[in-house]
Formats: sequence, C-alpha cells, structure tokens
Amino acid sequence: MFIKNKKWDHKYFLNMREEVLNSWPTGREVDLKEAFLYLASLPKEKHTDYVLKEASQNGKTLLQPRAGVPILKDHIALLQYLQDEGGADILPTTIDSYTRQNRYKEAQLGIEESLKEGRYLLNGFPAVNYGVKACREIIESVKVPVEIRHGTPDARLLAEITLAAGFTSFEGGGITYNIPYAKDVPLENSILYWQYVDYLVGIYAQEGILINRESFGPLTGTLVPPSISIVIGIIEAILAAEQGVKSFSVGYGQCGNIIQDVASIKILDKLTKEYLASFGYYDVHLTTVLHHWMGGFPEDEAKAYAVISFGTIAGAISKVTKIIVKTPQEAIGIPTKEANASALKNTRQVLNMLENQNFIDEDKLSQEEYIIEREVRSILNRVYEIGEGDIAVGTVRAFSSGILDVPFAPSKYTYGRVMPVRDNEGAIRYFDFGNLPFDEEIKNFHKERLEERARFEKREVSFQMVLDDIYAISKGRLIGRPR
Amino acid sequence: MGERTVVLGVIGADVHAVGLRILDYALRSAGFDVVNIGVLSSQEDFIKAAIESGARAILVSSLYGHAELDCRGFKEKLQEAGLENILLYIGGNLGIGQKNWEEVEKKFKELGFHRVYPPKTMPDEVIRDLKKDLGLEK
Repeated sequence: MFIKNKKWDHKYFLNMREEVLNSWPTGREVDLKEAFLYLASLPKEKHTDYVLKEASQNGKTLLQPRAGVPILKDHIALLQYLQDEGGADILPTTIDSYTRQNRYKEAQLGIEESLKEGRYLLNGFPAVNYGVKACREIIESVKVPVEIRHGTPDARLLAEITLAAGFTSFEGGGITYNIPYAKDVPLENSILYWQYVDYLVGIYAQEGILINRESFGPLTGTLVPPSISIVIGIIEAILAAEQGVKSFSVGYGQCGNIIQDVASIKILDKLTKEYLASFGYYDVHLTTVLHHWMGGFPEDEAKAYAVISFGTIAGAISKVTKIIVKTPQEAIGIPTKEANASALKNTRQVLNMLENQNFIDEDKLSQEEYIIEREVRSILNRVYEIGEGDIAVGTVRAFSSGILDVPFAPSKYTYGRVMPVRDNEGAIRYFDFGNLPFDEEIKNFHKERLEERARFEKREVSFQMVLDDIYAISKGRLIGRPR
Repeated sequence: MGERTVVLGVIGADVHAVGLRILDYALRSAGFDVVNIGVLSSQEDFIKAAIESGARAILVSSLYGHAELDCRGFKEKLQEAGLENILLYIGGNLGIGQKNWEEVEKKFKELGFHRVYPPKTMPDEVIRDLKKDLGLEK
C-alpha cells in the first residue's frame, strides 16, 4: 500500500504540486508567497478559525447557508444577500458537479452557456475555471469568512486556487468526499489527494495562517447510523492533523431522534478530541458542525420549515459550533435567495429561543451516549489493529473488508452490506451489521430496539421498512409506518 | 435477457445513488431484469449497456441539475447505434431553480425522451407506464 499516515516529505509535495498546477491554466496563477501576504492582510473577521474560536468561547452557534451559482457577479450578489438579509455568520461557495469530477472543460461550457442563455446550467460555482483573481472578488465583496463546499475526490487544484484566493475553510476528506461522491476512485488515491490538501493547509499554518478544514459528516445523507459518521470524522481529523492542519471541524447530519442527535454530537466532540490527543496532536482547534436533515424533504414549504426548525433543536441543546442550514425548497432543488435567507432567520429564531434551555432526559441521553461510544471505539480499535498501527492503512483495509461501511454509497470501494432502519422512537439503528466489528451487547441492543418496532407495526423488519423510512420525512413523519 | 430488460443509471457527473437503489429494487420486485450501470454514467455507458443486454428501455436519472447539458445529442447517438426504437425515460430534478414543469417536460421531450418525470415520482407510477409502453400489460 502506498499511503501511510505520515507527514509528507516536502520534496514529494513539491514534485506533485508541479503536476497539479499544470493540470488547468488557472493553476499558474497560484503564488504561495503572495497568497500568504494576501491572507495575512485580510481582517480577522474573514478568517474562519477566528470566527469559530469566538463562537465557541461565547457558547454561540454559527449559521451557514448553502449557495453557489455559475455567474460570478450573481454569486457575489447571492452571498451578500445571505449575509445582509439572512444574517449568515459564515458564507459558502458550493462548487458545481463538473468541477467536482475535475471536468473543467465541461464546466467552461457550462459557464459560457449560462452567460449566453441568462439562466444557470451548472449547479454551483466553478472556482477552478474562474481562477485566483476572480475568486478574490468574492472574498473582497463580503464581510464574513467563506468556506468551499463540494464533493471532490481529487480537490488538489481546487484547494490551491481557492486557498490562495482567501477562502479560509475547505470542506472534504479522503473518505467523506470519495465514498458518497464517486463510483470508482480507490480510497488509497482519494486519501492521498486529501493528504496533499491537508499538507498545503499545513504550509499555510506554518506561516501563521490558520485554514479551517471540515469533514463531511452526513456522508450519503440517508439514514447513516451515527457511529459510522463519527468514526470517519475522527479518522479524517487524525489524517489532517498529521499533515499539519491546526483547525478542524467534524460534522454530523441530523438523524431526527433528538436524544440520538444530541448524544451523537457530544460523543463526536468528546471522542475526536480524545483520539487526537492520544495520537499526539495536542494543538488542533476542534469544532463541531450539524447539518440539518440531509435526506428527502417535504415539498410543502410549511412542512419543510418544520423539519428545519426541528433539526435546530438538537443543535441548540448540544451547543454545536455551526449549523449548515437547509431551505424550505430543498425538495425542488436549488432554492431562491429569499427562501435561503428565510431558512437562516427561522434557524436563528429557534436557536435564540432555546438559549440555555435543556429538557433532555439525562438517563436516556447517557444510555444513547454509552452505546454510540462503544460502537465508535469497537470500529476504531479494529481499524487501528488491521492497519498495524497506521490509521490510513487501516482505513483502506477496513473499507475493503466491511469493518467500516457506509449505507447507500455509490462507491464500489464500499463493502455495502450495512443496512440501517429506524426504531420505534425514530432513532437510527442497524438492521444489518454487515461486517462491523460489534460485540453481542451492541448487537442485542439494536435487535431489541428493532423488535419493539416490529411488534408495534405488526410486521417484520425488512427492506420495505427501510424504504418507508427513507420516504417518511418527505411524506410528513419521521418513522415510515406501514401505509 | 428478454422483453423485460431495462437499463438504469444516473447520467453525467451526478452521484445521487439512493433513488437508483430504490428504483432497482422496485423494478426487480415488479419482475423486470435490471441492468443498473450506477452513478456517473455517460451517454455511451447507457448505449453500451443497452446493446449488450438487448434492453427495451433506458431509464435515466438526474438529480443535480445538469441534465440538460448531459442529455444533449443523446437521441442522435441512440440512432447511430441502431437504438432508435428503444424506450427512453428520464426523471429527477431536471433543471436549476424554480421552473415551470411543462417547460421542463417539453425540453426533455424535444431531447428524445418519451416520458419525463418530476421530482417525488414514486416507482409504482414508472412501472405502470413501463408495462403499458412495452405492451406487457395483460
């Protein structure tokens, strides 16, 4: 295996860098020395890590929308609107799907056609095609930090260009931007590409410029059991820290059972910090992110607002550092700017009203935390073991043998045997464990919970029940009860 | 492979895998032979699979908004490959932003699709149409 969880040799990085910067003409615009000066010249309010630190010190939860359109001036206007009208604390720039697959020629056609037709033919902002200079117009037009969000297995060039342009947060990772976003990219390759990104972020850190890296916790966004998401977040945090990343965010997608969601965010925070320290990475500033429900949404806007508000509750109670906000038009596709800003206002209102309230049943919470923590440790310890002490090697081996698995993933490098389903209270449980290394205590816990639902619904747990759960929220409830 | 063979896939640079899994399951349960070519499939991938399997229908899925660019020229390529009689369906979020569905439907019919389905269409509806269009209804 050619990857290891070991900080890269600088010469190795530089050799690869030549190739990366030459892969599209705008790569030549990147000048690291000039980029350091540019980033150092930005006010601290435009640095993600500073804003995250302020928020966690004051117990504040930050809000970030999703947004990205292919025309630069429209994209800027959209971000300004979400900042001024929506009150976004951190802004996004969502990258289009051609760029995510390094198909820059098609992205170029998409920009040209969009300009010609006066409507958007791309689903995001093609930052590589625009290049450093044009991207800086975005940073200079807003008052808050901007994060790059995408889904790119090989984001080396995208990172080079956007970091130099002043984007101070970059989402993704070798696992979370491969398994849910690709069909046939080997995990070894994507981990290598993301080590490059993390090493680059590490170079900025050496110059005193802290770029925040964020793992994409929700994965396939389809009934992902919390322990899977948490394990992968911890692994990506470790891989990033080894390459020199000093500011990292781990993410989690709302499941819908509030106890389970609060427990998950708490365990995500606690165990990531613990594992980072146990691997010897003491100086990583770690924060948490909650994504509002990532599965199918109701088409009715009033119902969609309910899903959004409901998701915010778990964020408020768990004191998550940042929420990535959905919109009432999620079911239809890309939202209007008005709908996007309204969702931010809705979320802020719920957060503010829940300030310092806690009504969670502590016994239930600690029971849920106990089981999640045991699951996470079971998987992680096994990953470490089969990697013979190397977490990167262990990750590749774990995915090929199903010790680590992600439900509903398109990647053929996923074992694909794990099947989730909700229990009678709506918490996501394992219906099929695949090859996850769980002991009898854990397995029995899930079995008992699912038997309870089966009795209540007077039917067996089956794939039909899973399907009912996938559609449930869009059809007006959390649990997919029989029709 | 016979008269109940269909090719299923997500076109372009789109990676939305869940709906495909559900459709695959529903079509198989309804007695179809499904050739599922997965996400990130090109027009050529669909055509190759249809020829190899002797499929009678191609079911294209797209959820990410690039469908229009991805489907241009598909009809012509199908004709070149001798598949001018194959049934062609598409469904998903086919445009970006809030658009009039009739316009979207018209656009994709012009691109050669026999049926065009809006978001949130349930598999049962597609299966019903498919049986009708393929003359499988008794």
